[in-house]
Amino acid sequence: MNESSVLVIESDPIVRESLSGWLSSTGFEVTSAEDGAKIIKVFAKSDFNIVIMDVRLHSETQLATLREMKAIRPWIKTIIITSHPQEETVLEAKKIGVVDYIVKPVDMDDLQKIIQGTVESICRGNLTDDNTSFETSGDDLVPGIKKSFAISRENLSLMVENLLKEIEVVGVKAKQGKYIYDRIYGFYELSLDYDVTVSPPTRYMFPPKETLLKFKTGNGNYVEPVIEYTPRVIIGVHPYDIKAIELLDEVFMNHNPDPNYIARRENTVIIGVDCLHPSPRSFAPSMGTNWTETGFDLLLTDIGNSYIVKIGTEKGAELLVKHTKYRLPTGDEIVRQKKVRGEALNRYKIALDTPKDRIPKILEESYDDPYWENRSATCLSCGSCIMVCPTCYCFDVKDEMALNLKEGERFRRWDGCMLVDFAKVASGENFRKDKASRFRHRMFRKGKYILERYGKVGCVGCGRCSSACLAGIASPLEAFNALAENIRLKEAATSVIQAAKPARDIYTPEMAEILSVRQLTEKEKVFELKLKSGKKLGHYPGQFVTVSIMGTGEAPLSISSSPLRGKNFQLAVRNMGDLTSALHSLEAGATVGIRGPFGNGFPLETLEGRDLLLIAGGIGLFPLRSLIQYVMDRRYDYGKVSLLYGCRTPAERVFTDELDFWQNSKEIDFHETVDMPCEGWTGNVGVITNLIDKVDIDPKKTMVAVVGPPVMYKFVIEKLKKRDLPDAHVFLSLERKMKCGVGKCGHCQINGIYTCQEGPVFSLTQLRSLREAVL
Amino acid sequence: MKPKVAFFDFTGCEGCQLDALNLDAQDLIDLLNGIDIVNFREVMTERSDNYEIAFVEGSITTEGEIERVKRIREQAKIVVALGACACIGGVNCLKNHVPMEEALRIVYGKDAKYYNTIPARPADAVIKVDYYVRGCPPSTSELVKVIKALLLNKKPDIPNYPVCVECKKAGNICVYEKGQTCLGPVTRAGCNAICITSGRYCWGCRGLVDEPNIQSQKDILNKYGLTAEQVIEKFKIYDTCSEVLK
Ligand SMILES: Cc1cc2nc3c(=O)[nH]c(=O)nc-3n(C[C@H](O)[C@H](O)[C@H](O)COP(=O)(O)OP(=O)(O)OC[C@H]3O[C@@H](n4cnc5c(N)ncnc54)[C@H](O)[C@@H]3O)c2cc1C
Ligand code: SF4
Ligand code: SF4
Ligand code: SF4
Ligand code: SF4
Ligand code: SF4
Ligand code: FES
Repeated sequence: MNESSVLVIESDPIVRESLSGWLSSTGFEVTSAEDGAKIIKVFAKSDFNIVIMDVRLHSETQLATLREMKAIRPWIKTIIITSHPQEETVLEAKKIGVVDYIVKPVDMDDLQKIIQGTVESICRGNLTDDNTSFETSGDDLVPGIKKSFAISRENLSLMVENLLKEIEVVGVKAKQGKYIYDRIYGFYELSLDYDVTVSPPTRYMFPPKETLLKFKTGNGNYVEPVIEYTPRVIIGVHPYDIKAIELLDEVFMNHNPDPNYIARRENTVIIGVDCLHPSPRSFAPSMGTNWTETGFDLLLTDIGNSYIVKIGTEKGAELLVKHTKYRLPTGDEIVRQKKVRGEALNRYKIALDTPKDRIPKILEESYDDPYWENRSATCLSCGSCIMVCPTCYCFDVKDEMALNLKEGERFRRWDGCMLVDFAKVASGENFRKDKASRFRHRMFRKGKYILERYGKVGCVGCGRCSSACLAGIASPLEAFNALAENIRLKEAATSVIQAAKPARDIYTPEMAEILSVRQLTEKEKVFELKLKSGKKLGHYPGQFVTVSIMGTGEAPLSISSSPLRGKNFQLAVRNMGDLTSALHSLEAGATVGIRGPFGNGFPLETLEGRDLLLIAGGIGLFPLRSLIQYVMDRRYDYGKVSLLYGCRTPAERVFTDELDFWQNSKEIDFHETVDMPCEGWTGNVGVITNLIDKVDIDPKKTMVAVVGPPVMYKFVIEKLKKRDLPDAHVFLSLERKMKCGVGKCGHCQINGIYTCQEGPVFSLTQLRSLREAVL
Repeated sequence: MKPKVAFFDFTGCEGCQLDALNLDAQDLIDLLNGIDIVNFREVMTERSDNYEIAFVEGSITTEGEIERVKRIREQAKIVVALGACACIGGVNCLKNHVPMEEALRIVYGKDAKYYNTIPARPADAVIKVDYYVRGCPPSTSELVKVIKALLLNKKPDIPNYPVCVECKKAGNICVYEKGQTCLGPVTRAGCNAICITSGRYCWGCRGLVDEPNIQSQKDILNKYGLTAEQVIEKFKIYDTCSEVLK
């Protein structure tokens, strides 16, 4: 190979000419170009060792070209020409892996030294390193991304043994006639020709239980995030599992990045292996997950005595060079790889009867199919299907205290939609209480929701769930095929990825002080709080926060006050259970944790300039009050404002002082009612819907905001429809079980959306397409 | 003020109480910082009827025991059922499957006529129970978990899902795959599927989950070759007052 072929990219023709001329005269083979982007194709085919690039002009594009070159050939040596060594471009370039820079005007002596040094480092470096003796050598042995090499079984063993000396290695082992992932201590332990493992490798990125926070209450209290990880190599990952990891990457690294997952993922090297003897329950080819071109650091194909190894990342390339010997595959070996792969494809026993792109549509049309009810009759709600699934990632969050009851930790552990209590809230309402709705939800996740939200398949067809299900009903393939039969197939659904809202540390609460506490009723109190940082909470009416009491836990609570009223904010809370009763026992001066604000509040722009009809049932007034206050503060922005309030008994009326105030105010048309009067009650009696008759409504001009218990919605909507209000004018706030508030844990899901992200306030139009919202 | 705690035993092996003391020294000190044990037959001689929290161990098998447990309920603010016998009836319920006279004869031989026994039942068949420390014997960590929860005035973290969840989390190979049977799919988790992890199967010592699919579990046992009698035998561990055997 020629150690001295140089590519010069320089836009100034004079500099380019003189540089090239000088380099040729000193014995280099030189190619020059005016613009990097244009030469990238040439670069990919030829074999340059050194690139010299001027990054002073169009630095962004130039850096992009550099990145691309590095991706094609990770160990290309690059030298940049700049006018100032401290500027950002240079720092950025160093991150990409630039070996040196030259400051313009170019001093030819300096340049010669730098280039000479670079050439020497190439000679000393990876290619002729003593540790790395190649079985053959040639230009193509520079291990670039996407290149394939051959490696003997002995040398694979050598690599693993070398890895074992410096890092934890997890691999596939045989156990009791099945296969599992486990830590290995020698190459001999590996079974790389397995069919499927009992449990997927995703647990090494997202473990069954992990600590998120450590804290201490009382004197010397603190709350600290905990991020634990062990650098490790996982060897033997099949392509379908690699695809599953890619989905988790999308979920946990891109939308509200999850620091714990990221730390673990970035410290994991994945050595994949092609699946040549699939499990009889696998349908990976139907899901397009039997091969993969991405998501691994190295990927092996067993072709008999040797393996073809494909390089996926720079990390993978480095590992190969550092730890073992490899060579170019022979023509015969390349043919054999094709052959074994072809044979593997023929070994799959089951397949989708319809293209996978049609699954979302099939599901959509089968929402009310009796299939769900019938097929789930034998479901044990045992959760086995979701616990073995590589694409399941829902979790629960709990606090655990040490025996001294002062220190503790907040941990998360796997949870999932097939379990009975997954969507049950403190009031006892369970949003998926029957087996059929849970069974259907899981299948919709697998076939539709995930795909639409993240653009990646939600089921990779590994078949683990159907092996694990004692009732024999868990296979998505079976469900998709059964439903497809009933349906005229239509077009594929488009995928919508929601814009991510960035958050720095999504699980650590910020501390806030309780400034005052006021009893509202026997069971309800209102708390005034302020963030300890002195910052404003920055919420919109209708948004919520989660409140933490370390050791007790966390609960979602709406913000009850207007953002226009200073830095403090108010939470009105009904005593329902653990967290809320602990909160009730706190007094002014106490500290609680706050995360948020989360979700979408009321659509302020849509409401502006309109007549408003605000309807609150019971403690629905808590969230609605933030909007009422906001509207009162900017009263001039709105037309007529009516407020209807209903609760069960006079004793349950909350914020009575404000109710009196609204009653007497000319700015707001206020009506209230109770279901059951008591002695001395002179006001209206009856359900809240009666009050709607008392207001004049111009359906074109009026916007409605409703918050109350689930039962109320149905009747209020019926009434509003009778008054001709269009769906787009009606907004409702929904309650769901919530744990994370950031669209990860899965508890608040209504069909394909997350209430904590897209809600809790929805327009009726939106809700019409969400069938689980049952209105 | 530290809450005063008393332990009471009914019909059972007292294995639960003994196991409860299997704490290391520091844990015990920490625990005693939070509570005051006033009555604990195995370790203390001093007795007191002045207690707020009563741990009740063993199942209720005689008329006299019914009276006694009711008195405890009147005195205590919080009653905790300790162990499988108190929580679900436990092994004592096995006698419910034979006629009472037969049971007496089996247990006491020819002295049977001097004893009086009623079908064994868990504590909550007689009185309201606030907390449950499940398992046979219950693990120390479970006991500590419940004590911590009641000191913190919150619900203890005892899941309402089956053992299978924890079994899968532990990465176990399902015993059904090996041709054995297991009650994991209807038994309440919280033990980290300890029996399966240590090479056995789940026999249901923690009682049922709230909504068990009994029919489906029975069908599965049948499918794996158990006869109807064997299936009933398997289920005997669960409280006989429940629907399971009907
Ligand atoms: C967006 C939103 C806004 C809310 N705003 C208010 C408010 O302003 N005032 C108010 O009093 N209540 C509000 N709630 C209800 C409040 O969140 C529950 O009453 C509270 O979570 C009960 O928790 P707990 O620990 O006291 O009860 P427990 O019975 O001890 O806990 C029940 C379990 O359910 C979980 N859970 C999760 N989400 C919910 C939920 N939505 N409802 C009930 N339980 C839930 C809890 O975290 C806990 O794990 C709101 C709920 C949501 C989703
Ligand atoms: S749903 Fe079943 S087949 Fe699909 S990825 Fe999960 S475990 Fe595998
Ligand atoms: S909601 Fe989805 S990810 Fe969560 S447990 Fe169910 S199927 Fe798995
Ligand atoms: S589908 Fe099967 S594995 Fe899943 S919860 Fe139901 S019975 Fe268990
Ligand atoms: S071994 Fe028992 S507990 Fe474990 S998964 Fe199988 S049935 Fe469930
Ligand atoms: S696995 Fe079953 S028998 Fe064993 S401790 Fe848990 S509940 Fe009891
Ligand atoms: S996804 Fe966790 S609360 Fe919405």
